[in-house]
Amino acid sequence: MTVVLKVEDLWKSYKKNEVLRGVTFSVNEGETKVIIGPSGTGKSTLLRCINLLVRPDKGRIFLDGEEITRPGINEARVRSRIGFVFQHFNLFLHLTALENVMLGLTKVKGMPKEKAEEAAKKALLSVGITEDLWHKYPAQLSGGQKQRVAIARAIAMNPRLILFDEPTSALDPELIGEVLKVMEKLAKEGMTMLVVTHEIGFAMKVADEVMFMDGGRIIERGPPQEVILRPKNERTRRFLSRIWELYDLGVRG
Amino acid sequence: MIDDILYIVERYWPLLLEGLKNTIIITAASYSIGVALGLSLALLRSYGPKALAAAVTAYVEAFRGTPMLVQLFIVYYSLPAFGIVLDPLTAAIVAIGLNSGAYQSEYFRGALAAIPRGQWEAALSIGLRKWAAVRYVILPQAWRVALPALTNELIYLLKYSSIAYFVTVPELVFMGKYIGSRTYMYLQVYTVITVIYVTLALTISEGMSRLERRLSVPGVSITGRGQ
Ligand SMILES: Nc1ncnc2c1ncn2[C@@H]1O[C@H](COP(=O)(O)OP(=O)(O)O)[C@@H](O)[C@H]1O
Ligand SMILES: [Mg+2]
Repeated sequence: MTVVLKVEDLWKSYKKNEVLRGVTFSVNEGETKVIIGPSGTGKSTLLRCINLLVRPDKGRIFLDGEEITRPGINEARVRSRIGFVFQHFNLFLHLTALENVMLGLTKVKGMPKEKAEEAAKKALLSVGITEDLWHKYPAQLSGGQKQRVAIARAIAMNPRLILFDEPTSALDPELIGEVLKVMEKLAKEGMTMLVVTHEIGFAMKVADEVMFMDGGRIIERGPPQEVILRPKNERTRRFLSRIWELYDLGVRG
Repeated sequence: MIDDILYIVERYWPLLLEGLKNTIIITAASYSIGVALGLSLALLRSYGPKALAAAVTAYVEAFRGTPMLVQLFIVYYSLPAFGIVLDPLTAAIVAIGLNSGAYQSEYFRGALAAIPRGQWEAALSIGLRKWAAVRYVILPQAWRVALPALTNELIYLLKYSSIAYFVTVPELVFMGKYIGSRTYMYLQVYTVITVIYVTLALTISEGMSRLERRLSVPGVSITGRGQ
């Protein structure tokens, strides 16, 4: 089994606020790992550390065995190998759907325009964004469409790993399904993924492992059937019962 | 009155035309300097090394904090002491351009700061380097945001170009004064000059809003057109 991502004893504080307190885990090729946990426990910070948007105070991160937290690393090159899907999509507002996907191909990978366009269209189709939407601007797309374009933007770069930071939290309930379906398909096709989400249905179906984060640590981890259905830790249990409540009320899923 | 105005136009149109030409040259040239300078200064101040950013701040405050006329006199009368002698037209263009650069850098800086943080993060996350992110993601949005302010600046400069009069550049106001002193029909002359300025300003306004419409992207320009 090839280890794609290894996170080793990661620490990060903002002033006195200890956000990450010794996070360790790894993700193997083709695996999908899901992180759940209350807000403010450092999940986003963890993903941002992996993508080198935030420098950890201590600890190391390896991508394909190469330490990417070492000083002098080519950050842009590392980021081009890691996809990032944001909660608020962050599509480039001045570019059409197609151009959003093409930008990284032409300006980072140096592809000629025709080839980039072909690859971008293929990526868009794979997330169900059809030709009628290719020339629309983000402001003209629904939330679900935006997020799928954002996923296509990540896929098109042919990354080793895609990070998802609550990809459906900003969506209207009726749009969540289409994004989860795309993610599920990606996972099935063998993409390596690390997903922060509260969609326990998705986690149950897709995750190879679920990690529960609280207070900057992973306090429980295991197969989804165990962590989600039979959590051992008291705090995991309390958090999940709240999530289940929302589920039952039909607010989500 | 109408007869007087017609007389002035008929008799002095070559002078008025010459004045108009100089006014346009000063405005266009100093505006171009201002855009280039303002953009560069804003980029340095926003993303450049700290020391440079501080120098830019000093520049901007110095030019915004002193009267433009003083700046013009310094360029025209004091620079020769350092071996830099400029003819009146060039001095006016340089002084107004330097001043406008200070103001425009503030417009650009505001526009750069208005681009949501997420745009940066997305740009970096696909592997763009800092300056590539600025060029391909931040700037194309920022300058659309800045466009209305840049339009206003162009119209300001059209009016401020008249301070070139004080270093004897024969622009519109200069010509107006001259024709007035020959004919004693000051009111009529200035009416003509006013009509010319207003026409120019309206033309600029119309041109710029056409540009804005052409460049407008749903969800980007702050004017919100096409949303
Ligand atoms: N850039 C920052 N500066 C200061 N504090 C921050 C910053 N980013 C995150 N934090 C703090 O770190 C904590 C964890 O944030 P975050 O990683 O976003 O948590 P989560 O994604 O689990 O909700 C929060 O208390 C947040 O206020
Ligand atoms: Mg978060």
